[in-house]
Parts: sequence; C-alpha cells; structure tokens
Amino acid sequence: MSHESAEQELIRIPITVDVPYRFAAGNYMSRFLIELRDNGKFFGIRCPSCGRVQLPPRIVCAPCHVRNEEWVELGLEGTLTAFTVMYLPLTDPTTGEPHEPPFTYGSVRLDGADSNLDHIVHLGDEYDSAWVGMRVRVVLRPREERIGDLSDIIHFEPLKGQEKPGK
Amino acid sequence: MEEEKVYGPFEVDQRIRAHSTYYAGRIGSRFYTELRDRKRILGSRCEECGKVYWPPRQTCGRCFSLLGEDRLVEIGPLGTLETYTTVRYSEPVHPRKAPFVYGIVRLDGADTGTAHFIGEADPGELRIGMRLEPVFEEDRKGNILDIRHFRPVR
Repeated sequence: MSHESAEQELIRIPITVDVPYRFAAGNYMSRFLIELRDNGKFFGIRCPSCGRVQLPPRIVCAPCHVRNEEWVELGLEGTLTAFTVMYLPLTDPTTGEPHEPPFTYGSVRLDGADSNLDHIVHLGDEYDSAWVGMRVRVVLRPREERIGDLSDIIHFEPLKGQEKPGK
Repeated sequence: MEEEKVYGPFEVDQRIRAHSTYYAGRIGSRFYTELRDRKRILGSRCEECGKVYWPPRQTCGRCFSLLGEDRLVEIGPLGTLETYTTVRYSEPVHPRKAPFVYGIVRLDGADTGTAHFIGEADPGELRIGMRLEPVFEEDRKGNILDIRHFRPVR
C-alpha cells in the first residue's frame, strides 16, 4: 500500500434521518389511550384462558392465542421490576428529541398488571438510587395537556417513606 | 354492568430522528474528492471479469476480486437512461420535494447504473435509452449531490 493512500482525504458524510409518522392505534390501543388522556386511568386486558393482564392491551393473548375481552382498571402505583441508568441521550419516540442524561429508565409493573410499562423513573440527582422492588407512582400531565400518547406520562416517581433494602 | 362506551378510532403522531455518519472508505473517498475537485466521475474496473462499477467499489460483486485504487477509471460524463420514475409524493427521506424524476443512469464505460435525479426535462419527453449529461453544482461539498442532476443531451 502506498503512502499516498495513507494520507488520502477520507470522506465522512453526516446523515440525519428525520421521519414523522402516524399510526392508527387500533381498537384496543385507542381505548387505552383515550382512557389515559380523558380520565388519567390505565386499563389492561385479561386473558380468559391464562388470566394474564396485559399492558398495553392487545386483542390476542400472546401465549394462549385467544381473544382478550375483559378490561381491567390498573393502579397508578406499581413496582419497579428492572432499571438502568442512562448515560447516553435516549430519543423520545413521541418527539424525536433526545432526553438528556443521566437519568433512570425502568420497567414498572402497575398494580393489577402482569406486564411492564417502560418509562423514566424520576430520581433527580440520585439517579442511581433505584432498586428492584421499589414502589413508584405514575405522574401524568394535567388533563388539558394530555394528547393521548405515552408522552402523557411525565415519569414515575418513588413513593415516599421507602428505604433501599440492605442499606 | 357498566354502560357501553364507544371509543372512536385514534391516531398517534410520532417522530424518529436518527443521526449517523456515512464513512465513504478509501475508494468511495476518491470518488467523492474527484467529483468535488475536478468534476470527474470514477468507476472501478475488475481486471478478472472486465466489469466496470459505478460508483466504484473495493470488491467485485461478481467474482469477489479486490479492486484497489489502481483500478479506478474515469467514466462518463455522458450516459444512458436505463429506467425512470416520477415521484409525486414528498417523503422526508428524499433529498428533494416532489414532484421530481428519479432515473437509473448508466454512464459510458460503466456496466452498472446508479439512481440519480433527472432534471431540466419534462417527464413526458423522457425515454429509456435517452442520452444524458451531468449538471454539476457550483459549490461542491464531496457528496453525490455534487451532481445536481442529469439532463437530456440537447
């Protein structure tokens, strides 16, 4: 290989893909999002076969392949089942804007549900203070600001008066 | 039993914005700098099977021979329209607003065609096999849009 190629100018082209899109939420997600927007409530759907309460609600139970029809109102509190501390910006799918790190991102099992909702867990400067099993509550935007997507959830925040186990 | 409530259809607006960098590599960088600095279009010739690729590449797609910088050859600038379509619907991934014409242009001396804009032409006058010439941008930045478009040879 010649020296000429080692000194060659190498081209880098920055590319930004910016795609706004719209999806039809469908029968079950529409009901879920409208209840969230209008009434600040979370609804899951119970499988008639295995009894699993799925969130977000789907028309078919994934393990049993049967039609889900029983709507179940869920709690606004739940339990953290997994979390991570983000040190890189995370793109918010509702706006395309990055969320500035560091922050905690977690999976929350709302009371009454058998599946998780992933969202930001607001811990302020103590972003590494979470634990699995931590009790949290959902913080929603005020009614007039809610538009019916997951940005209606601002974040989860820990319930007061808890102590990290083993501390 | 709760009363029946009707939930209308609901649409959600979302947005994905992803930043990335395309690294042109050694051969691709020669292609872009040559285009930017000298308005010359390069392809690469495979000595094994005789194919000439546009844009140039480092490996022959047919016989897998390595195509180094010594295999770069000047092609074009004139070429032939292989096929084309009129885009009437603007999409954010397109670099230009519709309507515009995308064509596959095979440059003289090349065995492959590449997609580019066809400009300065009424879509109705375009014909497969038509002779085309490139129109270069004045302010060239080292990317494929340094060729503004191809237009019919008048």
